[in-house]
Amino acid sequence: MARLGGKHELGSPLWRANVGDEVDAELAFHVEMRTRELIARGMDPPAARAAAVARFGDLAAVNAECRDIGTSTEREMRRTEYFAELAHDARFAVRQLVKTPLFTAVAVATLALGVGATTAIFSAVNAVVLRPFPFARPDELTFLFSSWHGADGGVSVGDFADWRKRSTSFANMAAIQFVGMTLSTGDSPERVSGAKVTASLFPTYGVAPELGRVFTEAEDQPGQAAVVVLGDALWRRSYAADSGVIGRTITVNGGPATVVGVMPATFDPTDSHEALWMPAAYTPERLAFHDEHYLTVVGRLKRGMTVAGAQNEMTAISRRMSDEYPATNSANSSHVVPLGGAVIGTYRARLFVLLGAVGCVLLIACVNVANLLLARGATRSTELAIRAAVGAGRSRIVRQLLTEGLVLALVSSVVGVALAWVGVRVLVAAAPANIPRLASTRIDAWVLLFALGISVLSSVLFGLVPAFKTARWNLESTLRAGGRQSTATPRDRVRSALVAAEVAIALTLLVAAGLLIRSAIYLNHLSPGFDPEGLLSARVALRPAEYKAQTEEAEQTFTRILEAVRAAPGVQTVALTSQAPMGPGGGSNGIVPEGKTPDIKNAVDSRLRVVTPGYLSMMRIAIVSGRDIEPSDIRGGLRVAVVSAALAKALWPGQDAIGKRFACCEGKPDDPRWKTVVGVAADVRSGGPTQEVRPEFYLPMTQIPAEAWSWVGRTMTVVARSGNGNGASLTPGIRAAVKTIDPSIPVYSVFTMDQSIARSMAEQRFHLMLLVTLSAVALLLAAAGIYSVISFVVALRTHEIGVRLALGASGRDVVRLLTRQGMRPVILGAAVGAVLSVWATRLLRGSVYGVQTSDPATIGAVIAVLLGVAALAILLPARRATRVDPTTALHG
Amino acid sequence: MPPTETKDRLHGTLDALVLKTLSWGPRHGYAIARWLEETSQKALQIEEGSLYPALYRMERKGWIEAEWGTSELGRKARFYKLTARGRRQLRTEASEWTEFARVVSSVLSSSQG
Repeated sequence: MARLGGKHELGSPLWRANVGDEVDAELAFHVEMRTRELIARGMDPPAARAAAVARFGDLAAVNAECRDIGTSTEREMRRTEYFAELAHDARFAVRQLVKTPLFTAVAVATLALGVGATTAIFSAVNAVVLRPFPFARPDELTFLFSSWHGADGGVSVGDFADWRKRSTSFANMAAIQFVGMTLSTGDSPERVSGAKVTASLFPTYGVAPELGRVFTEAEDQPGQAAVVVLGDALWRRSYAADSGVIGRTITVNGGPATVVGVMPATFDPTDSHEALWMPAAYTPERLAFHDEHYLTVVGRLKRGMTVAGAQNEMTAISRRMSDEYPATNSANSSHVVPLGGAVIGTYRARLFVLLGAVGCVLLIACVNVANLLLARGATRSTELAIRAAVGAGRSRIVRQLLTEGLVLALVSSVVGVALAWVGVRVLVAAAPANIPRLASTRIDAWVLLFALGISVLSSVLFGLVPAFKTARWNLESTLRAGGRQSTATPRDRVRSALVAAEVAIALTLLVAAGLLIRSAIYLNHLSPGFDPEGLLSARVALRPAEYKAQTEEAEQTFTRILEAVRAAPGVQTVALTSQAPMGPGGGSNGIVPEGKTPDIKNAVDSRLRVVTPGYLSMMRIAIVSGRDIEPSDIRGGLRVAVVSAALAKALWPGQDAIGKRFACCEGKPDDPRWKTVVGVAADVRSGGPTQEVRPEFYLPMTQIPAEAWSWVGRTMTVVARSGNGNGASLTPGIRAAVKTIDPSIPVYSVFTMDQSIARSMAEQRFHLMLLVTLSAVALLLAAAGIYSVISFVVALRTHEIGVRLALGASGRDVVRLLTRQGMRPVILGAAVGAVLSVWATRLLRGSVYGVQTSDPATIGAVIAVLLGVAALAILLPARRATRVDPTTALHG
Repeated sequence: MPPTETKDRLHGTLDALVLKTLSWGPRHGYAIARWLEETSQKALQIEEGSLYPALYRMERKGWIEAEWGTSELGRKARFYKLTARGRRQLRTEASEWTEFARVVSSVLSSSQG
């Protein structure tokens, strides 16, 4: 039998035809061949056909079976083919990238920088803002504040009790009072921040203890034996994570307390990092007392209740309470704030500003890579044209270029994530400690997905532009031109637009950074109102158990401490205050000047400072008029006070405050104990340079009422000035001096005043550092982008430049020409950026001080810097162009 | 219908025979059917239709490849070609058959001892 052969059509399009048609045709062919054979043997055609069909068997069944198998074969082959092509493209892409190491390195570094920075900041935003709180149904949790003249503040015990009793919007409500506590575990007392809380705190948050139990409502009653629930950190630090600690009695504030439970590390109800919780155990008198606002109140909304609904109810309740308790509540209202808003607060805005800034950096990085890909597309035009000529379809070439982009993106995101990993560590280490939840920043699956997403999106998106441009190229003209480009192609316009875009973005970022720098300079030159040089502050706390009843003794002990410190080595001057600037402690009182009804509506909220004589002069706080607190201001004498300039202005505008009297701090509202103003002191920025000046008043320690010791927690701050300007050197002397008075008194929160000022501005500095770094990266990337574009243009136009030089143009003419062309998109971008920055920097309003957000001087300076850098980026490659040898250029 | 075991044996047999046919070069379905008919001296009576699912199955397994070509009469026909994997399969099947035949024939020719 003859060998059946025939011409094979490789890759015939028929192969891709419908499987069903193929099966039909194949089976028909068989039947027809058999019929012919039978006819050749002498059968008549209809009979032959019938016989052939009969011999074949069940034609329909065979057809169906073949279609079935054929379809799945087809599907599989397509898949195999697709992956084979992809693998081929990927291998090819890697080869291409390896072949041009400089391009690859620059592109990967650029993208990785963008991805790394964005990912690191996104991780932080994710940790602080986006990540849910580790509490059951956190969106039901709210904070409740007492508002006074529109400002949110703490809640009085009486108000809390009434709110809890009267409101129906909340499933549960709890109160927290933060107090410093002294733990006597070993030989030296340890000072920790603790909280006195209602038993309802734990069920409100819905968090169970990791060990033991939480305390009960019965234990949260006055007169009960003290119990304590430890935080995880304290349990690990001081009790070596020993589960046997449950049931043990420890000494808190000089009294015994039984440990009943340990809360998990994630339990930090208000992000205040308190170390332990004890029952608040309010007395019936306390529960009926509507003054002294020191509670933080948390409420869990009932299922389905909205914050607005709860607010409506609370507003109505507050209004009724204003009528019922006019003396204390007439000007009070209440404010319901979702937990997220209250804890995260302003960080949300700041972190989103940062995220926006890194987004800009990423955008510039993408623009640079797009530029690089465009340039690469141009230099590879000959290669691509040849590939098109030998039959590679347009979509095939686009796919190949996209694969290159993808490979680039993957490599960049790996490097970028590594950068982000380092970045997050640097970020957390450099950040001030008080940014909530930042320390738990992690690179998790979401963050990785985010990084990969932006990287792939950016390089594919920007890879597409050159891919389609390249694919559209006229094949014939490209080949004929020998790969050289004519001067003005549409791609030049794309490139110019990209340069303009990155200049605009970089300018916006630089303006933002410039504003923060100006603001930092302003803050650094701002007088704090006192002289921080050589000043050291340290907190000293007396234990309530021992000094509770004996007010006299507290006063005497502090006086002895003061004298002991005064004698310590190196101490030039010393005083005590209930609260040093930027330090903990203190409280505020509503002050009513004489002659006005002693009503809370007439009161000016003012910070109280209980001080020892000479405090103002030792702090070098200027005395505007009158005198300092003096040793002669003793109990039984004229009750004196020094007011700050701001308070004097608020109470007696336009008048001399000296000799005026005000009611404050003791006695009943209808029987005020008058204080006579003997001095007016200059304002002090007690909250740090970034905070507004608030009214303050100073009372001599030797004249304060007995209750005042519990307001200040029997805790004072020692402020001492060193003669040699180094405050830190005083620390051992002060510790030793206090020890000689009573070794059980803890000395803690020891800081030089310079440290305190730095700490109060740490957030600003952190913000500044990040934005300056980001804008520097942006500037660098923009300069690199401009440089690479001009270099590329010079390379493409070597021929033309050669002609110009040969025709007698001077090197300077060429430089001028290139600079003019190069600067055009830069100037356009700067103009757009200037407009953009005025709009964008509005987001910084809460973060800059002493400068308007649309500050023309800053914008002008930034434009000058940017144009200078751009000119440099253009001049370097342009000068290279003038060294072109005309003969080489023309031959090339 | 014969019992399943027999059917499987028949399937396997048919596969082996088709692979053998194609080991001499590519050919279309009808040619394979004709060759089977002639070389087996019509001893092997299979329904012609059952050849095609077998071919599609072997294509799916990657033993053979199909391409459209022009038959000797100038008609478009689907040509099957042995792949490297198919060639290996043929060797396996052939040695299995030889072994099977040897065992069976030794059993059949043995005398009671």
